[in-house]
Amino acid sequence: MKNLTAIPGVPPLIACFALLLAWEIGARLIGLESLPTAWETLRDLPTILTDKQSLYDILSSVRRMAVGFALAFLFAVPIGLMMGRSKTVAAFFNPLFMMIYPVPKAALMPIIMLWLGIGEASKTLVIFLGVSLPLIYHTYQGARAVGEKLLWSGAAMGMTARERLFRIVLPAALPEIMVGCRTGLVLALITMVTSEMIVRQAGIGNLLFNSLDLAQYNTVYATIVIVGALGFVLDLVFEWLRGIVVGWADPVHEIAVGSA
Amino acid sequence: MTVGRRISELVMGLIPILLLLALWQSLTSFNVAPPSLLPPPGAVFARVFQLLGDPAFLGHAATTLYRLFWGFGLAVIVGVALGIAAAGSPVIGALLRPVIRILAPLPKIALYPAFILTLGFDHSSKIALVFADALFPILLATYQGAISVEPKLVWSARAMGVSRLKTLFTVVLTAALPSILTGCRISLVISCIVVFLSEMISSTEGLGHLLVRAARNFQTVDMFVPIIAISALGLILNAGFNALRAWLLRGFPEEN
Repeated sequence: MKNLTAIPGVPPLIACFALLLAWEIGARLIGLESLPTAWETLRDLPTILTDKQSLYDILSSVRRMAVGFALAFLFAVPIGLMMGRSKTVAAFFNPLFMMIYPVPKAALMPIIMLWLGIGEASKTLVIFLGVSLPLIYHTYQGARAVGEKLLWSGAAMGMTARERLFRIVLPAALPEIMVGCRTGLVLALITMVTSEMIVRQAGIGNLLFNSLDLAQYNTVYATIVIVGALGFVLDLVFEWLRGIVVGWADPVHEIAVGSA
Repeated sequence: MTVGRRISELVMGLIPILLLLALWQSLTSFNVAPPSLLPPPGAVFARVFQLLGDPAFLGHAATTLYRLFWGFGLAVIVGVALGIAAAGSPVIGALLRPVIRILAPLPKIALYPAFILTLGFDHSSKIALVFADALFPILLATYQGAISVEPKLVWSARAMGVSRLKTLFTVVLTAALPSILTGCRISLVISCIVVFLSEMISSTEGLGHLLVRAARNFQTVDMFVPIIAISALGLILNAGFNALRAWLLRGFPEEN
């Protein structure tokens, strides 16, 4: 038993199973019609995943998420690096970001839709907004913590400011940037689901509430399981990617937590 | 940091905020954006101050605050208790860690339909969602704070004959306080955001509902007011919490 639980991935798997078991027992004990058992829910999964419309909904959601995240990355990392290296830039942006921080980004959806219509642009923009701030913050922290001695040595060896930024600051800040990316990824998923729930027009969030309105309770719970699995898989893929990109840095055993 | 430098940083920080306001004002005054899409800032802020004296609006804000504090309060109690327990007992820790590993990155908002189905459309489903979202930052911060408590402190207390359980409350909990409060601060802003979103998705009262109602009736000015209100609420709660934190942590060595 001891060496079995030592394998990474096994304890979460056991925990997953235990949670499902707790759900199954709880649902049977409570006996609410609106709370199906775990088994009933899981049985519904293949139906959803083979249904063309729901599959299209899910995939288009994931695509929007990827686009929003990529745009936010391209926007946030340069700003974060500049803030980290120049006190003036940091003083310039910090209060603004502090003010924007408590704004619920997904709640901007109705206003953004007023301006950009109900198409892809507004949905992607909301995800972009949700992801940008944590990415900027972590990049800023990473760039700020770069050792001055490294930069002095680089300067003494005749590196230009531009070379120092790309050859010293960026690699040194990379582990922290990856932490930001992880938080951002979770946030992208949350913002996406939330904004779709608010607007109820397309995507996973819509699937959730449509089946709620139609009283297809099994589908509601099955979709929740799909969203959860999506979050978990994204996290795993990201950990793997992180190992490749910044495997040389100390591993960060931090669990990403965030909210839209 | 000298006073002069402080002031110049403050001025620097005000520039982008003022620029943004100026851009907003010029967009409306040069008729680039019609008022039905983007009302002038003056109109929006005038409406905010007008509504601050309106009992109906204050009632909605009170509903939102009620849900927020119930959810957040429960999360603090459960999060701190579980975090300390997981750090104090290896068995509980080994049991909890994989569960947290799975539940923490899960987008809690997806559970909202399940909460509605099981708890109904009233306060309890919103409170449950706020609780679920606020719990994990507090739990993780408590756990991390509690396991990094200087072991010598615990040993000294134990050597002086303090029981294991009492050590947990008097030594570990106190020493982990800075970390716990950091977790609580993160959760407080998250709670603020989540309660608003839950009210937007399904509610008949609260600030979030006001935004949805304004959007349905195409009252653009009234759409901006709840967003400004909830953001201001977040900033005020955050500032208030910082003050509380500074008071609670007086005498602790300065960190960060």
